[in-house]
Amino acid sequence: MTGALATVVEVFVSGMAKASLYAMMALGLTLIFGLLGVLNFAHGSLTMVGAYVAGLVMVTFAAGSSGLGAVVWFVVAALVATTLVGGVGAAMEVGLIRKLYDRPPIYQILLTFGVTLVLDELMRIVVLFYGQQPRADWRAALGTKPSFVDGNVSVLGASIPALELFEVAFGVLVVVAVWAFLTQTRYGLVVRAGSEDDEMASALGVDVRRVFTVVFALGAGLAGLAGALLMWDPAWGASVPLASETLLPAFVVVIVGGLGTFRGTVIAAVLVGMVDGVTTYFFNEGIITFSGISELMIFLILVGVLVVRPQGIAGQAEVGGH
Amino acid sequence: MSLLEVEDVHTYYGESHVLEGVSLEVEAGEVVALVGRNGVGKTTTLRSILQLTPPREGDVRYDGESLVGLETHEVADRGVGWIPEDRRVFAHLTVEENVRLSVPPGSDEEAGLETAYEAFPDLREFADREAGTLSGGQQQMLSIARGLVNENDLLLVDEPSEGLAPLIVENVAESLQSVAEDTTLLLVEQNLPLALDLADRFYVVDHGQVVDEGSTEGVTTDDERFERLSA
Repeated sequence: MTGALATVVEVFVSGMAKASLYAMMALGLTLIFGLLGVLNFAHGSLTMVGAYVAGLVMVTFAAGSSGLGAVVWFVVAALVATTLVGGVGAAMEVGLIRKLYDRPPIYQILLTFGVTLVLDELMRIVVLFYGQQPRADWRAALGTKPSFVDGNVSVLGASIPALELFEVAFGVLVVVAVWAFLTQTRYGLVVRAGSEDDEMASALGVDVRRVFTVVFALGAGLAGLAGALLMWDPAWGASVPLASETLLPAFVVVIVGGLGTFRGTVIAAVLVGMVDGVTTYFFNEGIITFSGISELMIFLILVGVLVVRPQGIAGQAEVGGH
Repeated sequence: MSLLEVEDVHTYYGESHVLEGVSLEVEAGEVVALVGRNGVGKTTTLRSILQLTPPREGDVRYDGESLVGLETHEVADRGVGWIPEDRRVFAHLTVEENVRLSVPPGSDEEAGLETAYEAFPDLREFADREAGTLSGGQQQMLSIARGLVNENDLLLVDEPSEGLAPLIVENVAESLQSVAEDTTLLLVEQNLPLALDLADRFYVVDHGQVVDEGSTEGVTTDDERFERLSA
């Protein structure tokens, strides 16, 4: 019985850790779509840049630190990644995307897809220049993981990787912070109003254009923050392919949750994360031998939602856009 | 100098020439009605003033300052408010959030809420409900309340009686009369009796141009100038 409970706890924490990562990858994407109606195909690349930037801060300044020192440096690295990638997002919105709001969505899709190609190639060149392999995880960044998130912790008789608990705590913190911003601040109110009717919001005195820039920067910053968390995770790590590896699940979560809805995105992240956690457990235990079972199940959820409820769990028939 | 001067405004939707030289003036403290059939350019006139659909030619001056080339939020900052024809409340925001959002930054939100609830006591009861769940009349009240707390000197009111039951229209008319005590109104209304009842002056719009104007004093819906419109 104790063994069964321990297994349940292990699978639950593993699923919630994955849910945290998926939520962080998808929240920025859904915020940007909700307000601007832009499907940002460069979101995965921004996550990848965030992983490298945070890794660079850790490798440069935090190598060898432990305990509280390592935590402080991780916070600094996360803030630097969030700010820098947020700045890239703001520049993208002002310099590129703003010109395309009145065009059909295909223009924005092509543009952001182009940005992802440019960012990926730029990062590939930089990484190669420093003698690293773009496709391989950056071992030095993985190595900056402090000891307290490297081992296992015993919870209700289960042996839980400390990193998973850290990811859950971090993810919950970010989700609560974004929720508080959207529902408890005047700027959040402005963002929600602008998502519904940007023309009416501007007629009430809201500088919608500036709100667009701030939200795009915030969405991009969240992608950077997700990257900072992913650089330590052995299943992800800082590498150029992280861009496409994170973009796909982020899109699945956003579509399953309902494009542009915060609540739906969080629910979908938990759903997808738990399914991923359970199927990974079955594979690891040899109950299922097909190695792609997690990906298959996640895409089956996507197909099921698209067939039964195309607007997603919490979406409406039409959201976003202008 | 009039509070609002619209001078020879030409506005297009794409290649479609909708306003073909609209000119009108609104004095401070007046209620002015724009009347005319569907699709003649009344709503576009309001959108042109707000710079939501900026005119290609002509000028719009508010308090002597040209609004052409400004962003809509800058027009709103100068004191021009809008109560749009289909209410356009933020459906997924609560009634209270709709009102709070309309209070200008730096002003007292609580005082704004009190102003709205004093004018429309029913809204207090629905404060925590999503605005999209309200009836058409309640949404219209909320829309007017938003305009009220937005601290405007000029309110552009578009078809306030559209789609409402006669009893509700009476309430809306009373509310607008109350708002007009402190605020200048430019009112688009197809309900001629209502328009004549509320307004001091009127402009008749047809095919994107002002074709008639005058005082509403002593004018009834039997006036030959309106017979064509009423038909």
